[in-house]
Amino acid sequence: MRLTQLIAIALLVYFLYGCGTVKVYQRGNLGDPIMERQDVFAKQTLEQKFFSTREGSIGGASGIGGGCGCAK
Amino acid sequence: MRQYVKPISFCTLLTFLPWLSVYAAGEGEGLGFTTYYFSDSGDNSVVTTSFNLVKKLLDKTLFLIDIELDQVTVPAVTAVTGATRPQRRKNEPFEKSRGQIILGLQQGLGDNSTIAANYYRSQEVDYASNSFVGTYSQELNDKSTTITFRGQFNADVVGKILENGDIAQQRKKSYNGSVNLSQILSPNTVMDVSYDFVLHKGFLSDPYRQVKVFDTNGASAAVDELHPDSRTRHAAATKLSQFIPPIKASVIGSYRFYVDSWKVKSHTAELKLNKYILNDVVFGVDYRYYTQSGANFYQDKYVGGQFLEGGFKTADYKLKPFSSNNFGFTLTYLLRGLAKSNPDLQFLQDSAIEFEYFRYFNDLDFSADIIQASIKFSI
Repeated sequence: MRLTQLIAIALLVYFLYGCGTVKVYQRGNLGDPIMERQDVFAKQTLEQKFFSTREGSIGGASGIGGGCGCAK
Repeated sequence: MRQYVKPISFCTLLTFLPWLSVYAAGEGEGLGFTTYYFSDSGDNSVVTTSFNLVKKLLDKTLFLIDIELDQVTVPAVTAVTGATRPQRRKNEPFEKSRGQIILGLQQGLGDNSTIAANYYRSQEVDYASNSFVGTYSQELNDKSTTITFRGQFNADVVGKILENGDIAQQRKKSYNGSVNLSQILSPNTVMDVSYDFVLHKGFLSDPYRQVKVFDTNGASAAVDELHPDSRTRHAAATKLSQFIPPIKASVIGSYRFYVDSWKVKSHTAELKLNKYILNDVVFGVDYRYYTQSGANFYQDKYVGGQFLEGGFKTADYKLKPFSSNNFGFTLTYLLRGLAKSNPDLQFLQDSAIEFEYFRYFNDLDFSADIIQASIKFSI
């Protein structure tokens, strides 16, 4: 198995089992406006539209449609 | 090519103000109005205005309507065969409008999951697009993990305005699937990982772009570009967002890898720094680097009779190998201080005034300037 695949699997396992310990009351900083986690609409932003129409690549706008679960 | 930056006057900027968004804190409800101005080194310009509303219908049901209008201006054709506009009245600027509407419903399922369905319609004189989008989102691990699945189907009608004013139509379909994983790593750190898959089928060329095909004697003829009728695209991305309490700042880094069946491969890296310079004033700087390889059928020059009737050929610069840079800054004034000092101004708690500028340039002598000014209100 290639090294990159191993790293990807390790990250996934870490995500799913290793990081469920941050309490809701500890997430205040994650909801700060400078963390830019407040996406309301799951539509393409104007910047994403600009790049996708002037470059040969699309996709990978991570975080859109997801959320950090941080208390507001 | 000489670089050209269209000057923007203060009055012009005021015309495009405001970007007004009204969000009900914590509920997802909101009302917004957005304007945006773009100009590039090819003298193309776009003015975008959008209105959106998210309204709670029942306890866990949200309704979305989003309306967007674009005014696009493309300059007169000179000698450039790669221009994507009609040849009809080619000595005059080509102006057109585009209208877009999105209708959506989101339903909460218990405390930790939501399901949503959106319909999207975009219409312009020579292009129409219909999309259906379905999304399922699940929170896990005491809401520390969010996983989101998304599927989308697009049916497009690609038109070409002919010399006599008639419109010839072709069809294109797209199938999109994506998965996003968002994970809180610490009280100051969030990481996102995503994967996108897209399959395009049908007419994938631009009906207006033409390619010069040469014979062995050096004579040339202009013919319509021809792309394959299928394209499979993959993108994997990750983003790390870090809050730095001692200096009241955040650093957001992201990377995307992209590859497709036309052998275009790209890398995108972006780094953003946001810093409180006063209690309620944030200054942000952003840098993005992008590099890609060319499509397997891209050539600088097409020579031979086989390209006159068939043979894949393109005049699309997006299928060339190139790199680009994007640099921008943001200045944001948060109005929460006013809300705190005056109970009558509570609606300003999540409100902000923001100014954003970014400049894009690539090694194909293309550059663009974008200015956005916004005002957001919450109620």
